[in-house]
Amino acid sequence: MGMHSAPRPARTAAEARFRLLRSLKPQTSRTQIMITVLFVLLGFATTAAIRGNSADSLLGNARQSDLVSLLDDLAQREARLQSEITRLETARETLLGGDQYQALNEAKRRASALAKLAGTEPVNGPGVTIAISGNLTASTLLDAIQELRDAGATAIQISDKNLDVRVVANTWFGDSDNGVTVGGTALKVPITITVVGDQSVLTPAMKIPGGLEDTVGSGGGTVTITPSDDVSVSSVVPLPNS
Amino acid sequence: MIPAIGLLAGVLFGLLFHPTVPVWLQPYLPIAVVAALDAVFGAFRSVLDGIFNDRIFVISFLSNVLVAALIVFLGDQLGVGSQMSTGVVVVLTMRIFANVAAIRRHLLKA
Repeated sequence: MGMHSAPRPARTAAEARFRLLRSLKPQTSRTQIMITVLFVLLGFATTAAIRGNSADSLLGNARQSDLVSLLDDLAQREARLQSEITRLETARETLLGGDQYQALNEAKRRASALAKLAGTEPVNGPGVTIAISGNLTASTLLDAIQELRDAGATAIQISDKNLDVRVVANTWFGDSDNGVTVGGTALKVPITITVVGDQSVLTPAMKIPGGLEDTVGSGGGTVTITPSDDVSVSSVVPLPNS
Repeated sequence: MIPAIGLLAGVLFGLLFHPTVPVWLQPYLPIAVVAALDAVFGAFRSVLDGIFNDRIFVISFLSNVLVAALIVFLGDQLGVGSQMSTGVVVVLTMRIFANVAAIRRHLLKA
């Protein structure tokens, strides 16, 4: 490339184009050959890098640390699945090896557990009764129900003076005059929530800061939590036709 | 012109011979390519600035590639290889953009 003029930036666009074209003119010198070699290598390396990238993109280019964490994930998953296999195989052994009654009992036990979850069977047992009076909104009630579920509630029922509603997976909550609507049934405050579960977990769950007691209390209402060794969740939802 | 033909020839070689990149080179090759591109765009810019020198170009090309690979290698040894290569690519891309902008200003005066 010519160094015959004093080095200075191109003044006009035409001069710039001229310089670009001049630099593209074939020249032979040692450095030109060197540059050509470099460009051949650049083209080669670019295509190689692109091809290498598309060949086996994910694992091939991953770094050691990424691969290790990937492997860790897989190992953990394998351990989980292995324990699942063990559990299922044990269940299978029990079902196959035991007599008919054992299989029947197992099936009954599972049916009963599922019926409690689905709310098609009354549940009795230790639990708490939560009486709520004053202002109560559906969202507060929903939060409380979710808190109860997190605290391990087996069965939940919400009642007012006249009506009982069993809370199941698809129960919904809405605001209504003088109370809340639970799964389509309008309940009037004051209401009572009957919960079967571990009292020592359920009671503090309702008393956490920002929880049910806090929210209702700040709205001027009152919450009374009564633990009991035998509460009865008596209402059931009808079995869906299937 | 001859280097441009060389570039085409290199691309053709790459397409024809399906080179497999050795495993130890895989993290460095893309970085090296970007560094080389930076040097190439820098060269075009210096042509338009009237300060192009082919010796400087050869040296800057090689040193760019080596330094970029070295930084990524160092990052790999320190356990921050992927972050380091991201950083190098970002910096080089910014330089490429700056160079292209300068070239554009020269050619289009805009």
